Amino acid sequence: MKVMSLIKPYRIAMIIAWILMLIELMVELVSPLLMAKIIDEGVLQADLHTVTVLGLVLIGISLLAFASGISNSYIAYYAGQNLGYDIRKNVYAKIQRLPFSSLNQFPTSSFITRLTNDVTQIQNVLFMSLRIALRSPLLIIFGTVMALFVHAKLALIFVVAIPLLVVFLIFIMRKGFVFFQSVQKKLDRVNSVMRENLIGIRLVKAFYNRSFEQNRFVTVNRNLKNTTMKTLRFIELTAPLLLLLMNFCIVLILWYGNREMSFGGAQAGEIVAIVNYGTRITNALSMLTFIIMAFSRAKASSDRINEVLQMEEEVDVEAQDSANATLKGAIEFKNVSFQYFEDHANAISNLSFSVQAGETVAILGATGSGKTSLFQLIPRLFEAKEGEVYIDNQDVRRFPAQVLRQQIGYVPQESFLFTGTIKENIAWGKREATMEEIEQAAQDAQIHDSIMQFPKQYDTIVGQKGVNLSGGQKQRLSIARALVRKPKILLLDDSTSALDLKTEQKLLEAIRGYDCTMLIITQKITTAQHADLILLLDEGELIAKGTHEELLSTSSLYQKIFQSQNREERKENATAANK
Amino acid sequence: MPLQRINNKKTIEQTDGKNVSFDTVKRLWMELSNKKGLLICVLLLVLINALLGIAGPFLIGKAIDQFIYEKVSSGLIPLLVGLASVYFFYSLTTFLQNYWMIGIAQETVFSMRKRLFEHFQSLPISFFDKRQHGELMSRVTNDMDNVSSTLNSSVIQVFSSVLTLLGTISVMVYLSPLLTLITLIIVPLMFYGMKWITKRTSKLFKKQQRYLGDLNGFIEETVSGQKIIKTFSQESYVMDEFLEKSTNLRKAGYWAQTYSGFIPKLMNMLNNLGFAIIAFAGGIFAIHDIVTIGVMVAFTEYARQFTRPLNDLANQFNTLLSAIAGAERVFDILDMNIEENDEADASDVNAFKGKVEFTNVSFSYEKDGNTITDANFLVSPGETVALVGPTGAGKSTIINLLSRFYEPNQGTITIDGISIQQMTRKSLRRAMGFVLQDVFLFEGTIRENIRYGRLNATDEEVIEAAKQANAHKFISRLPNGYDTMLSQDGSGISQGQKQLLSIARAILRDPSILILDEATSNIDTVTEIKIQEALQRLMKNRTTFVIAHRLNTIQHANQILVLQAGKIIEKGNHETLLTKRGFYFSLYNNGEKEVG
Repeated sequence: MKVMSLIKPYRIAMIIAWILMLIELMVELVSPLLMAKIIDEGVLQADLHTVTVLGLVLIGISLLAFASGISNSYIAYYAGQNLGYDIRKNVYAKIQRLPFSSLNQFPTSSFITRLTNDVTQIQNVLFMSLRIALRSPLLIIFGTVMALFVHAKLALIFVVAIPLLVVFLIFIMRKGFVFFQSVQKKLDRVNSVMRENLIGIRLVKAFYNRSFEQNRFVTVNRNLKNTTMKTLRFIELTAPLLLLLMNFCIVLILWYGNREMSFGGAQAGEIVAIVNYGTRITNALSMLTFIIMAFSRAKASSDRINEVLQMEEEVDVEAQDSANATLKGAIEFKNVSFQYFEDHANAISNLSFSVQAGETVAILGATGSGKTSLFQLIPRLFEAKEGEVYIDNQDVRRFPAQVLRQQIGYVPQESFLFTGTIKENIAWGKREATMEEIEQAAQDAQIHDSIMQFPKQYDTIVGQKGVNLSGGQKQRLSIARALVRKPKILLLDDSTSALDLKTEQKLLEAIRGYDCTMLIITQKITTAQHADLILLLDEGELIAKGTHEELLSTSSLYQKIFQSQNREERKENATAANK
Repeated sequence: MPLQRINNKKTIEQTDGKNVSFDTVKRLWMELSNKKGLLICVLLLVLINALLGIAGPFLIGKAIDQFIYEKVSSGLIPLLVGLASVYFFYSLTTFLQNYWMIGIAQETVFSMRKRLFEHFQSLPISFFDKRQHGELMSRVTNDMDNVSSTLNSSVIQVFSSVLTLLGTISVMVYLSPLLTLITLIIVPLMFYGMKWITKRTSKLFKKQQRYLGDLNGFIEETVSGQKIIKTFSQESYVMDEFLEKSTNLRKAGYWAQTYSGFIPKLMNMLNNLGFAIIAFAGGIFAIHDIVTIGVMVAFTEYARQFTRPLNDLANQFNTLLSAIAGAERVFDILDMNIEENDEADASDVNAFKGKVEFTNVSFSYEKDGNTITDANFLVSPGETVALVGPTGAGKSTIINLLSRFYEPNQGTITIDGISIQQMTRKSLRRAMGFVLQDVFLFEGTIRENIRYGRLNATDEEVIEAAKQANAHKFISRLPNGYDTMLSQDGSGISQGQKQLLSIARAILRDPSILILDEATSNIDTVTEIKIQEALQRLMKNRTTFVIAHRLNTIQHANQILVLQAGKIIEKGNHETLLTKRGFYFSLYNNGEKEVG
């Protein structure tokens, strides 16, 4: 799909708009003739009747032009705004269908610029082309043709000059397109630095590195300014050069005309007429710069949008009846290897394990050992490079994404919340959730009591990305968001790190009431020890698996972790006991 | 139950009341006139350009009269050379006026963007909590872009139109005051029509820009959270909401432009009407010998010329109005109150010992009931203070007051006996180091991100800090080491590693006062122990405030402040507080170790 194909539905509207524009243009061309007639036949003959009649005709066709002009702009804006809407819709829908791996291909800020600024550019050029863009080319062609009729030999100058102009215009447009592409890129950068600053505003303020931040912004801002200036100045070169060329043509015609006259090859009136057409064409040309600018900018923008539209979509399977069934929740990894990028080291190497439905798995491992990658393979956010991931003995690749993900509750490490009330944020996991279900989920996530302490309770507004909540609150809210869906598989990615032992125990106990398989990434042995299976990962490899007791006897690393944590625990208990 | 609709509606309606303001145009003009010298040059060029524009047709006319009708050739060449040079200079001035104007316009846009950015940095934190990032970004890009495209072309257009208008009217008055008067009849009509339309469209254009900002905000938020959307397979839901916002924009944009699209058409019609009136009245006058036919014919030509500049202006109307709407949104931000400026007698303070004292400090946020009431405490240099209490008790507020993100309503806060209001914010914050809950890394190398703690640190210092934070090992293992680029959301490294970087950053800063906000929650046990050691080292000889979320991490604090509902209800160290058997005791024993 490309931007051009999105214009198709508006073909009829466009044709009507052009016809209306032609009517308007005709009136414009006819009215001077009428005017001349009023003078010649009415005023000069002292014929008031003719003056009145023709005057009324003039007013009549003016109204006609007015009506078609207004209808034209009405249609132009209708098409323009709808096209903009369609493009935005398609690009946004495309982003929704992109696989995880492609989402990082462009920075968020670039997606944003493309969806707003670039769309606006295209939209603008469409209504411009419906309203005015055709006027100047038409005027130029008409003018030339008329001039040829009047005196072919003299008008030959135009025939030579105009193709030259066209070549020149194409050249400018091509160049301008490249320039504008870099303008939009620079705009991306401005957007990006701006966005970073807004996201990190607390830190920016706390560190008070104002001049540093300002320098960063000034750099991208200056780049944008310089590129824009260069581009516009280049494009603005067009008009003066075109004018110069055309005006020289007129000078030439005068000179040549004078020569022709002395040989009797031309009438005075013919030369006057041709000069007249010449000046009209020149006037029409000055409008062209503006149009060219808009077109090359729109071309740059539509290329950027096409870039997104042509990205590869997430491969999804058709919904089959068998796949639509509710999951039970058994998971199996068979020799799974995975890497994020071709040339990167494996994030997961040759991993195998299996879990029965309803069991609990704890995953331990140091930072960067592949725990999160493992999680992301289950809802098929990424796909294994080698080996297979099975759910209920079916390859995950055979599940439609929606069917699969709807039954999985995922709580990521970083709790991403959206602007809106607490209630809305929990209901985000399940649109049709009732208030009871929401409260139940909140209670199970051990956040209900905290919510009730807020003045507005469930209607408390969560700021963007949850700025007004503490880390622990955010974590528990995003757990509630997963629980409200009553998932068959629950994935907790270190989501209890900010909870104390007792709350965590309560939480895990509440989750036990859910009919689901739970995988939990954790740093705490106390959390892990009750799991049916513990996986110990190191640099993408599974170095130990088994129950707490098994690992205590077989894995030295596990023992080490156990001892270090146990020691701390005992110290804590000892200090408490001292009191 | 769409998210965020409630607050957005509010902001949109709030500002709808205002009318298009002449003030905005005036302010834009003021912005431009910062480049007075060049601007005058451009205006002069416009004048010359207009004169040359008139000279051209005049010379053509002369050439036709003298050399075409008269069929003589001598003297033609000099005239044509003259004409050619007029055209040459015409093109030259056209180019130069555009060239300089683009410069002026882009410089202006540059400086407005810059000021907007700087202003963002000076606005109080509360400003950002209420607004969507994307909406603010829209002002910097989309709104400024509208201003930019208008300044590029419209200024020259307006000037040359006004010049042509004045010139034409004077010639018309000279030819026949009576006919001029009749021609000018349509002028009030034009202005009335323009006013009628502008009144409607300016609101719509503002709405359009606002909806665009709104949409931008939505896009920013959802694309940032795209992974969550996918994981929860909520694509169709966000799509629906996107379409709703997009429809709003389409509607506003559609009506704004359709209305303003009337203007050129209206002008055209009035133009033709004026034409007819002149023909009609002129005809009658000519018949009655009030004017000569020649004057009348000339007049119709001038009437045409007279309306052309108006027409040009009308054609620019769309861009002009949306630029004004854009500029207004930018000025709205620039007009917002910043964090108060440093007091006149504020001075830079270097080298704190780190004695912090709160005396009778009370504070309330504007609306929230989130208050601090009569806080009193004293922290000796090098001590570690833990702030404990349920969410909303005021722990973060204490830190916000100490770092002067907010000013207390009552009471004084001193460091080393000096009121913090007598220090510049810069020197105050320079002395403080933060490890915040949300690790923020910007797009750049790891080295740059650590160096953010102290911009003039050498590479060796950066590495040393990384070593102390136990980040050096993982950094060295990365293919590009310290030069590894972090993408904007810091992806590519794990959450724990981000935390290590943020600690390294604080270590590098070498602050007198350290603020730790849940610094160690996401690091695996092995690293956590090492980090604790590093932090212990770092905290030594430094006044440290720990916003405690887990009670077991703060037992070694010299002082624990227990807050509840904005009041410090208990004070003391772990042991004394436990023996008190008060709130802390119950918190500790009820296992409420996670607080806030």
